[in-house]
Amino acid sequence: MLTADPTTRVALGQMRRSIGRLAAAGLAIVISTAFVAATLQAGTIITRTTYAQVAAQYADADLVVFDRDGTMVPADTDAVRAVEGVAAADGFHGTYTELNHGSRTVYQSLVATPSDPRLSPLALADGTWADGPRRIVLPVEVAELFGVGVGDSIASTRCLRGGHQAVDENGAECYGGQEVTQRLTVSGLVDDPLGTYAAGGGVAVVSPAALERRLADDAGGAPPPGMRTLVVALDRPGDQAAVEAVKSDLAAVVPSATGVTTPEEYAEDVVASISDGQNIVYLVFALALAAVSLVVAGLVIANTLQVLVAQRSHTLALLRCVGASTGQVYRSVLLEAAILGAVASVAGVVVGSLFVRAGLLVAPGFDLGVELPRTITPSPSALLVPLAVGLLVTLVAALAPARAASRVAPLAALRPAQDPGRCGTSRARALLAGLATVGGFVVMAGGVALGTSGSIDVGLFAAILGGSMSLVGVIAGSVFWLPRVAAAFGRFTGAGGPAARLASANTLRNPRRTAATSTALLIGVTLVSMMTTGAASARVAMDDQLDARFPVDLQVTSTTYDENGQAAVPATVTAALDGVDGLRAVTEVTNVSAERADEGKPVQVAVVEPEALRAVANTPADAELLRPGTIVVPERAAALYGLEGLDTLELTGPDGEVTLDVAHSDSQADRAYLTPQDLAAFAAGTAAGEVWAAVDDDQDAGEVVSAVQEAVSTTGETVGVAGIVVERSAYQEIVDAILAIVVGLLAVAVVIALIGVANTLSLSVMDRSKENAVLRAIGLSRRQLRATLAVEGLVIAAVGAVLGVVLGLLYGWAGAATALSTLGTVPLVVPWTEIAVVLGAALVAGLIASVVPAQAAARTRPVAALAAE
Amino acid sequence: MDTTVYVPADQPAPAPGGAARAVRARSLTKTYGKGEATVRALDGVDVDFEQGRFTAIMGPSGSGKSTLMHLLAGLDSATSGQAFLGSTEITGLNDKALTRLRRDRVGFVFQQFNLLPMFTAEQNITLPVELAGGTADKAWFDTLVDTLGLAGRLTHRPGELSGGQQQRVAIARALIAQPDVVFADEPTGNLDSRSGAEVLSFLRRSVRELGRTIIMVTHDPSAAAYADRAVLIADGRIAGDISDPTPESAMAGLDALRTLEPEVTTRRSGAGA
Repeated sequence: MLTADPTTRVALGQMRRSIGRLAAAGLAIVISTAFVAATLQAGTIITRTTYAQVAAQYADADLVVFDRDGTMVPADTDAVRAVEGVAAADGFHGTYTELNHGSRTVYQSLVATPSDPRLSPLALADGTWADGPRRIVLPVEVAELFGVGVGDSIASTRCLRGGHQAVDENGAECYGGQEVTQRLTVSGLVDDPLGTYAAGGGVAVVSPAALERRLADDAGGAPPPGMRTLVVALDRPGDQAAVEAVKSDLAAVVPSATGVTTPEEYAEDVVASISDGQNIVYLVFALALAAVSLVVAGLVIANTLQVLVAQRSHTLALLRCVGASTGQVYRSVLLEAAILGAVASVAGVVVGSLFVRAGLLVAPGFDLGVELPRTITPSPSALLVPLAVGLLVTLVAALAPARAASRVAPLAALRPAQDPGRCGTSRARALLAGLATVGGFVVMAGGVALGTSGSIDVGLFAAILGGSMSLVGVIAGSVFWLPRVAAAFGRFTGAGGPAARLASANTLRNPRRTAATSTALLIGVTLVSMMTTGAASARVAMDDQLDARFPVDLQVTSTTYDENGQAAVPATVTAALDGVDGLRAVTEVTNVSAERADEGKPVQVAVVEPEALRAVANTPADAELLRPGTIVVPERAAALYGLEGLDTLELTGPDGEVTLDVAHSDSQADRAYLTPQDLAAFAAGTAAGEVWAAVDDDQDAGEVVSAVQEAVSTTGETVGVAGIVVERSAYQEIVDAILAIVVGLLAVAVVIALIGVANTLSLSVMDRSKENAVLRAIGLSRRQLRATLAVEGLVIAAVGAVLGVVLGLLYGWAGAATALSTLGTVPLVVPWTEIAVVLGAALVAGLIASVVPAQAAARTRPVAALAAE
Repeated sequence: MDTTVYVPADQPAPAPGGAARAVRARSLTKTYGKGEATVRALDGVDVDFEQGRFTAIMGPSGSGKSTLMHLLAGLDSATSGQAFLGSTEITGLNDKALTRLRRDRVGFVFQQFNLLPMFTAEQNITLPVELAGGTADKAWFDTLVDTLGLAGRLTHRPGELSGGQQQRVAIARALIAQPDVVFADEPTGNLDSRSGAEVLSFLRRSVRELGRTIIMVTHDPSAAAYADRAVLIADGRIAGDISDPTPESAMAGLDALRTLEPEVTTRRSGAGA
């Protein structure tokens, strides 16, 4: 029977006696296993959410046929529909139209009614899909703007180019063609629950035939532009075998297709091309953090058990005296750890799962910009892994204390307990710690070098390995230098007061204890500052990347043409924009396709004053380069128009020629920048066909874009509104959400560290109760005693925190530089505010950790100094 | 010659020689527990201790001698009665005042030495003065170090000193602030007989040559023989007073206690001391 085993009885008996201490240590394991469990479950959520976000636009399609060159034609759609097993297929095609009702005008993008509701991300909010030529389904917002509902009619106006005759023409002339107005009946309203078309201000739906007709009209006789994607719904959705079978058939019937994938694969592909697999990187990051928090918990456990064993040495020696073998003593400590680990790990998994569940429950209350699942069923591995890990960590942490316990000599029972005094520290340990520190940093540097030169996986692995190695080295070596640094620090801050002198002497008393106390905090602070540094670097790098890709938040483009080409954006529109809240730096930009004297490809040029560009563009570097006589060529534009490596460029136009210096920039805009003065030299009188505007950072991008559309529509003018900022802020929200989750999880590691600090400090105070009594007997006042402990706690915390911040900066930079190297050069950002907060929190933690034990110590009666051991 | 004077427990012990009183106790009582379980550790003790003398408080284990010392030194609070240090009544002082009193006017020598292991001998000696925010009087420090033979040991830490040396450091620490009185609690209890004799000689020299007042608690007659006077205590009451005790007279006094108080049967032999 289990309880008959003396080892078990001893272990259980010891646990009962030390239940308080064990509970405090067990809390560390509870928190860290909860951390692991929550991280694993959150990882599932992050991945699912990101894919779902991207896959949303393909709705419930089973397969996506894509052609990167955009050459697929309606015939291909028909061919796909004919494939056996295909239930429905639609081409992804769209055009624009001007919609009018009363005085309001909206320039609206149009798509076709899906042949199967599974193929559209839109949800019918009212009425029916457009099934005839004169029918239209409006976005709910547009219907509200117009004040129309199902059954009402609105006007659709477009300009026919070329000689092609349109049906129901009764409009005035538009330049180079005819303006045609059609009356359309609103057959239904749609919602865009996933925000797929938010960037374009929603989408209206017409019947497929009507769309095809409009596309043909737009093309003016030429073949309409091809399609990039076809979405396919199968007869048996979700049947893996059917999907695979149809996949190859589809590739065969659409010769121009560059790929056939499931929406998930396509989404994965898109997600990967957006963020180059960073979601995986973040998961690795988070799990690495969970691992470090387990190490922290392990240290706390090891330290607590070590102290418990020391306190019990008398009992242990008695056990040995009455016949317990070293093995039995060893096993009793391990058994104790196993029980502690098992109980704490189960509790941790429960807490972690509850935490995730609670998070998902409250998440919809916040505007995260992403749709999260309401509940999650953790996979068995997400439950078993934290359990096993928690138990294992506790057992490993117990090995050294167990050995120490088994080494207690029976003779110790006969001797009075001795002050532990100064522990010896071995030379081998110093050597190994030094090697691990230096070697770790070298490996980490190598990892960063590898990561930045392309091999992220290997680089990240090496960086994490090196980082962990160096951290272990620093921790293992801390016993040698940390107490000394703390003591020196204490002398420095103490300004010679006896309390500070005592405190600094005390930090040297038990170097292991001091080092462990400080190290627990060091690890926490290192982690926090690492993540905030990494996050800050990542955010800046991401912002740079997004800025480079989307140089302007919002563009309003004239859609009318006159004899000089694109007509100016009407002044009423510009005036209307000025009245929109949340917009700043509204500026007119002339868009020119400039001919080159060298007969090269014409260059698309945005003409704008440098100051205006600086105010409106997200890439201030381009504005810095822009000046009269210089054309600024972003990297992408250089590639598009063959301008790489050019130093000068000669542009020609109706008004003459101009030779410009070429300033190459590394932004990703697709147009070059030129000043109005230079434009006047070769093409004076070109109208400003665009208006650029920046959206205030603290505004909701989607709302501002909607406000702009509404403002523009009230002018009755027809212009295009491109709210790229919506897309941009969607990316940022994803990044922010992931970072918030990671940083949130990290706070957990800090809490563990704080438990460790409080635990070890109060143990130190317990250890010194006799000595504190002596000091009280020879004249130390209560206040001085409290001050002594406060100074000690503060100093240890300060040393751990300062070093932690330094290490955290290093690790954060290394991690960001490696993991995010695909984003280009990652800036090394110092998040001063966060660092100040972290340092402040660490100092307060040191104070709290010492003040409470100090109260207990101050209650020590001086007479205790005279008590026999 | 038998100099033992047996006095009834309810009369104040006389103070020979008419010297000024360093420490006095009046009806000093300390009880533990309540009701049936009440233990009277100290039962209305009246006793005077003269200035500039080395007095031993002797008694068997559980006699109340340690309790008496704790109360006289302001380390513990009395249940009733009064204790005076010079003209200051210390019973009833608050913790702050008691701390200042211990810091300035009382020194302690402990059985376990109780030196702070992280400080050197010199730092240990000067600690009480520094805790009070002052600096040690150099001449007095040198005198102490000289008298106690610690000149070569000042930079050593307690771990590097023998028991006798540690106790001499503790004596120096107790004397550094020139306190009105030094209480020594079984100062030789943790020492072998040679070191113990050495420490006792130093205590006696501190009294004779440096003019200090020392009150020593001991159960060992041969230790008490170093004192100028031995106050015997048994069952919480003063049970005798011996002037210029010798090991034999002290032993005889203790033996007499056993015959007077048959219930006090515990007798820890002063083995080795």
